Amino acid sequence: MAADNSSEVLVKARDLGKRFDEFIALHPLNVEVRAGELFGVFGPNGAGKSTFIKLLTGQLKPTTGGASVLGFNVARSPREVKTNVGIVPESESPPSYLTAAETLEFNGRLRGLEDLESKVEYWLDWFGLMDKRSTLCKDLSKGQRQKVMLASAFMHEPRLLFLDEPFVNLDPIHQRKCRGYLLDHIAKGGTIFLCSHILEIAERLCTRVAIIDHGSVLAAGTIDELKDREDESLEDVFIRLVGTSMEEIEGSEDGLTEEE
Amino acid sequence: MASGFVLRSAPGVRDAFFVTFIMMFKEEWRQNIDFAKRRRIVLFPLLVGLFSMAVTIGLRFLVGSGEIDPWADAEAARETFTWAELRSGLHIGLFLFSLGMGSFAFVGRAIVSKRSGGKSYLLGAPALQPLNLQTTYLAYYVKEVIFYVVMILSPAVAGMGAAIFLQHYLSTTTPLLFSSLFPLLLCLSLTLGQGLVLSFSGSALWSRGGIWSWIVPITALVLAAGIALGTIPIENAIAGLWIQEGRLIDSRILLFAIPAFSGCLLLAWIAAGWLPEDFEISVSSREDLFLPIHDRLTFIPAGRMRLLVAKEIVDVLRSGTLFKMLGSYIVPLLFLLFLAWMADFARFPIPFNLLSYAPFLGFFGFNFYSWLNGIDPPDHYNTLPMTVPSLLKAKIITYFLLTTWIGIIFMLLMAWMLDEWSELAAAMVVMIANSIYIVSLSAWLMGLRPNKAIFDAGIMAKFWVATSAPLILLFLLSWSQGDTAMLENWSQQVSTGGFDAEAKVLELEQRASTDLSGILSICGILLALSFLFLRLLDRKWGSTPFEN
Repeated sequence: MAADNSSEVLVKARDLGKRFDEFIALHPLNVEVRAGELFGVFGPNGAGKSTFIKLLTGQLKPTTGGASVLGFNVARSPREVKTNVGIVPESESPPSYLTAAETLEFNGRLRGLEDLESKVEYWLDWFGLMDKRSTLCKDLSKGQRQKVMLASAFMHEPRLLFLDEPFVNLDPIHQRKCRGYLLDHIAKGGTIFLCSHILEIAERLCTRVAIIDHGSVLAAGTIDELKDREDESLEDVFIRLVGTSMEEIEGSEDGLTEEE
Repeated sequence: MASGFVLRSAPGVRDAFFVTFIMMFKEEWRQNIDFAKRRRIVLFPLLVGLFSMAVTIGLRFLVGSGEIDPWADAEAARETFTWAELRSGLHIGLFLFSLGMGSFAFVGRAIVSKRSGGKSYLLGAPALQPLNLQTTYLAYYVKEVIFYVVMILSPAVAGMGAAIFLQHYLSTTTPLLFSSLFPLLLCLSLTLGQGLVLSFSGSALWSRGGIWSWIVPITALVLAAGIALGTIPIENAIAGLWIQEGRLIDSRILLFAIPAFSGCLLLAWIAAGWLPEDFEISVSSREDLFLPIHDRLTFIPAGRMRLLVAKEIVDVLRSGTLFKMLGSYIVPLLFLLFLAWMADFARFPIPFNLLSYAPFLGFFGFNFYSWLNGIDPPDHYNTLPMTVPSLLKAKIITYFLLTTWIGIIFMLLMAWMLDEWSELAAAMVVMIANSIYIVSLSAWLMGLRPNKAIFDAGIMAKFWVATSAPLILLFLLSWSQGDTAMLENWSQQVSTGGFDAEAKVLELEQRASTDLSGILSICGILLALSFLFLRLLDRKWGSTPFEN
């Protein structure tokens, strides 16, 4: 899974794998993500996408191999990695008993951000949370909590973003705004590592993708490289790769109808 | 770096500590006011202060007429209790409390595993933020110490100060001096800090698993036995007590207290380093447990209640907290057993007997009930056609299923140790009635959030009155069933002699059978009240959401 260009490698995994007791969450894999890429990892639910991102950001320890991010060995220097990347996890919430503004202050102060107050105001405003700045995170809606998580990841303007289902629960306006921000980030030379099962995101945003299932990489490359035919959609590619035929899907629908 | 992007250094320990500590303090405060209204939280220290003031005024009856000089031998002032005994009791009580509250290495792991749920706490922040667990837990430890000092110890000592102050305006006297208050606060804070750090260290090592799962409890048992047998003098084991025992003169107290506090901090730092460093989760398939347990609970009518009880039992078993929960229930019982042995061995001048201990066995049920509410966030029940009272009742039933056998074993052990088999039946009734009463009361007063109710002054006042009144009554009545020859009739003397009361040998003839009827009548009242609390659950919690 390596890009063809010769720019700087920001994410590098070698034989990176994870096993939970007997369950193999991620088979050993190799990956390189270069500066300026928007690298997408796609797969069905439970494919190992979140495990992959957690391994790369030091949230989990690998059982095989290792990884480096921004030149830091993830296992040895997880704090350096977390200082310099932005992470939006799949399902975690911001601290329940801090307000939206305090959560951003906490994250900013940990990283020693200057002019923190104006940065906090800027991002609260950007996400339309100004009227919720003093609301405890536990009392925010799911979408608002997701905005706090995104703002936390964006506010220190990291070069590399790890985003796991970043648009989940976001309203269409902020989905669009975030897509714009991510494209702008790439244009400025930033890099994004994104996990999702929404293929539309891949087609709209990603420069390179990997499709994984049952903890194994099924295919990787640009979207065009993954297509067998020119008129094949990414959805068709996905279904072909994860081993489910259109007939099976349609058949299961028929079966449901018959049972009813 | 690419244009516009800066490579930052990870935050230093000091910066990370202070940022985290301040936010954790806010988090703790808000967690408490989230449960109770701000007014009630502020009232809690006031309640502690008032209670402490009342006890301080009452000290005169316990320690006699001499004033308490914290650095001097108070033997001369001895009447019924010596100041040294009261002081030891205060420190030992606080030490046991802090040992119970300090096992937050366990809490932390639970919090980390719940990050994806409805609630998220700063202890889980190292997963995403440039923080390590060591700094985060050190901040948590310091926050705990300061929070308890601010909410409990300082108000208690202020209450003592108020009692001394009142001497100038009322005809009361207290044996305490203003000059003893600051050393007392300092020493109590040290005891608290030491208990918390020892418990934290043990739980941190224990959470590493493997051989530590054996070394930690064995070491704890050896130390407890050493203290119980007097091999390790208690005043040497508790640093705050050691200072107060007068082994240091007051000018040197700070010279000792500062390194002692630093030692606690250092141990907390080291212990935080023992915690497993990654946010590992265990993904493994398990055999179906729910239906087999459900099918065994045939004595509960089939339906919602049986389903809920089965789910609660599965939670206890699969969460791996059964050992800790039973520990939190059994440790106080072991202490009670030790007390029974000591009272019997030392021939206390008070006729303790099997019936004296029975009410306390029920009282410790509160610990277990608290654990039951901390396993699985109940939020998902909001999507199901059920109400909070159903879940509360299921938890009460689960409590009885999992603990009653322990209580019975302890009563049998005590009956054997004290050779009081004739009182066993009555003691069983007292224990079970108290158990039912305490847990029903806890469920009615605190619902699904018993751990957060501790700083709600209103709830704690009700809980305190509702539990201590029957406990004291049963405890005092139980004396009529033992050897009353040496019983000293304090209450009668105090009611007739007021502040001039003196202890005298009881002259009234005891009517043991009448008092046994009294004990059983109180148990009947407790059972009736329990029934009432259970009936009132619907009114109080029927329309509240599932949240803890």
